[in-house]
Amino acid sequence: MSSNVSEKTHSLGTPFSFTSENLKTYEELLTRYDDVESALLPVLHLVQEQINWLPTEAIAYVSGLMNIPEIKIKEVISFYDMFYDVPVARNMVHVCTNITCSMFGGREIYQGLLKHFDTDYLTPTRDGRISLQKMECLGACEMAPCMRINNDYVGPVDLTAAIQKLEELP
Amino acid sequence: MERVMEKDTANYKDFTLLSYHHIPGVHNLDVFERAGGYEMMKACFEKDPEAIKEEVKNSGLRGRGGAGFPTGVKWGFFSKDRNAKKYLLCNADESEPGTFKDRFLVEKNPHILIEGMIISAWALGTQKGYIYIRGEFYQQAMILERALKEAYAKGYLGKNIMGKGFDFDLYVHRGAGAYICGEETGMISSLEGKKGQPKLKPPFPAIKGYRGLPTMVNNVESLAAVPWIMRFGAAEYKKFGTEKSAGTKLFSISGDVNKPGVIEVPLGTSLKEIIEVHCGGMRNGNKLKAVIPGGSSAPVLNADDSYSVKMDYEDVASKGSMLGSGAIVVIDETRNMGDILKYTLEFYHHESCGQCTPCREGTGWMESIFKRRETGKAAKSDIELLDKTAASMRGQTICALADAAAMPTQGMIKFFRPELEAYVTTNVNSNKR
Ligand SMILES: Cc1cc2nc3c(=O)[nH]c(=O)nc-3n(C[C@H](O)[C@H](O)[C@H](O)COP(=O)(O)O)c2cc1C
Ligand code: SF4
Ligand code: FES
Repeated sequence: MSSNVSEKTHSLGTPFSFTSENLKTYEELLTRYDDVESALLPVLHLVQEQINWLPTEAIAYVSGLMNIPEIKIKEVISFYDMFYDVPVARNMVHVCTNITCSMFGGREIYQGLLKHFDTDYLTPTRDGRISLQKMECLGACEMAPCMRINNDYVGPVDLTAAIQKLEELP
Repeated sequence: MERVMEKDTANYKDFTLLSYHHIPGVHNLDVFERAGGYEMMKACFEKDPEAIKEEVKNSGLRGRGGAGFPTGVKWGFFSKDRNAKKYLLCNADESEPGTFKDRFLVEKNPHILIEGMIISAWALGTQKGYIYIRGEFYQQAMILERALKEAYAKGYLGKNIMGKGFDFDLYVHRGAGAYICGEETGMISSLEGKKGQPKLKPPFPAIKGYRGLPTMVNNVESLAAVPWIMRFGAAEYKKFGTEKSAGTKLFSISGDVNKPGVIEVPLGTSLKEIIEVHCGGMRNGNKLKAVIPGGSSAPVLNADDSYSVKMDYEDVASKGSMLGSGAIVVIDETRNMGDILKYTLEFYHHESCGQCTPCREGTGWMESIFKRRETGKAAKSDIELLDKTAASMRGQTICALADAAAMPTQGMIKFFRPELEAYVTTNVNSNKR
């Protein structure tokens, strides 16, 4: 693994804290809300920007920082599809399997990608590059079948094009 | 979309919402302003807030998030106390399957929403606002963040805006992937840093919302319509559309048409015109089979109804469906309605927040028929059971998600029962389209 990779991953058992830059962002986030709790979603997003997912050490850190019980934070994490309590790869790929996308083969693309990369829902590929997640309507049905690669929408795609795009990821 | 546009100035004649969309770089504040943007905000600061509310009420604007409740009437329920702490919450969650209009509006022209929100905040006397945008729309959230920064730099947001002694702070808040956060009380729970679980109404958010305080929740498209209405007046706005469905509406069209996308047309435009003129007709010249006219919660229309319906709240309702968010999914003869229903039910089961038994169990049970089909264990009679289960879920729950799952199910059975019966009893492996 390159150093670039290890920067964004987190090994279990090691403590987590925000980088000094993210700590500044955290302070700025708090100013937007009339109470601390309301900043929880943006703060969890910020943790994931730093290390991709939300390990127990990060939950403990956020709990201490915001004075919210860990169990509450865990509940919140499990409610939302885009918060990950399992390790995910540095490239997150969302494949839409809702109505319009499925009409144009979205499900076959998702299954095809799992097979090609020999992986499962969210499980990072063996080289640690990619996690795949099937998603509900991504709000871009005119691009059906579509997917999100990290934060960018692509579509329409077929399986071959999808594989090629993912193979190009760092 | 095909209509001729004036260059670099807003085209207010044919469009109320997309009037700036043809202008290159209009996401920049200076370009937006040169084309006439923020003029109405400035003019509105000279107007009495009550007069603004009255104008919006008279325009007949109805909430574009799905329910179609008159925006001005809802504003009328809101506390008039300008010193009381109150919030304005823009619903940009846009997760109803088939819907992508708010994304289209905001990514090209974030300032029309911001201008609409500042005018609305002035009218409503709210000091703080949030744009709750679904987590997947990261780039769109960044576009909004940038536009907000520009507006702050100009003094259009923040303390003592334009020297009027009026404070309004506006922020973007990103969701994290949960359809139910589009429901207004679910959204409020989520904004409070909790699971996005809906709360029983009443009390309505306008009375008791975010942090227990009065909160006005409006959809992106509703708020973005306000500057036009204030500029040209309610009477001009009502010239678009029908008597009860005033104005123009954004429609998101996807599925089996040649040109899927977002269009803005007057309410009451025929679905036939939308498909044939605006969307370039059916894909591959195939025959139309059915249309979902208002997002996945809306009961499907068969071909006959699709070709005769006018896209306004009343006419779509008269066909037993609803205009909803204006998400049109066009389905041609090559599709099996069993597939469409299966995708729909999987979605609702996945998105049920689990608080209410009829919803949690009902959506799970309905989906399970399609699971059983995969092992050859579903029977023809399951469709009758499906209909009964759907019926029993309606009107029993905290929020409308259970109804949103039940209605399209029953609608589908009404028109396509034999096809669905055949579908659930067909060996999956021999049923490749
Ligand atoms: C299950 C469910 C999902 C909803 N999703 C959305 C949504 O994504 N966007 C939206 O604007 N309204 C959505 N609504 C409607 C909102 O609860 C609310 O009525 C709306 O935001 C009010 O704004 P409006 O009056 O401008 O339409 C949803 C409602 C339900 C029951
Ligand atoms: S109806 Fe369904 S989604 Fe709505 S509150 Fe009840 S369980 Fe949650
Ligand atoms: S169905 Fe895939 S983006 Fe809407």
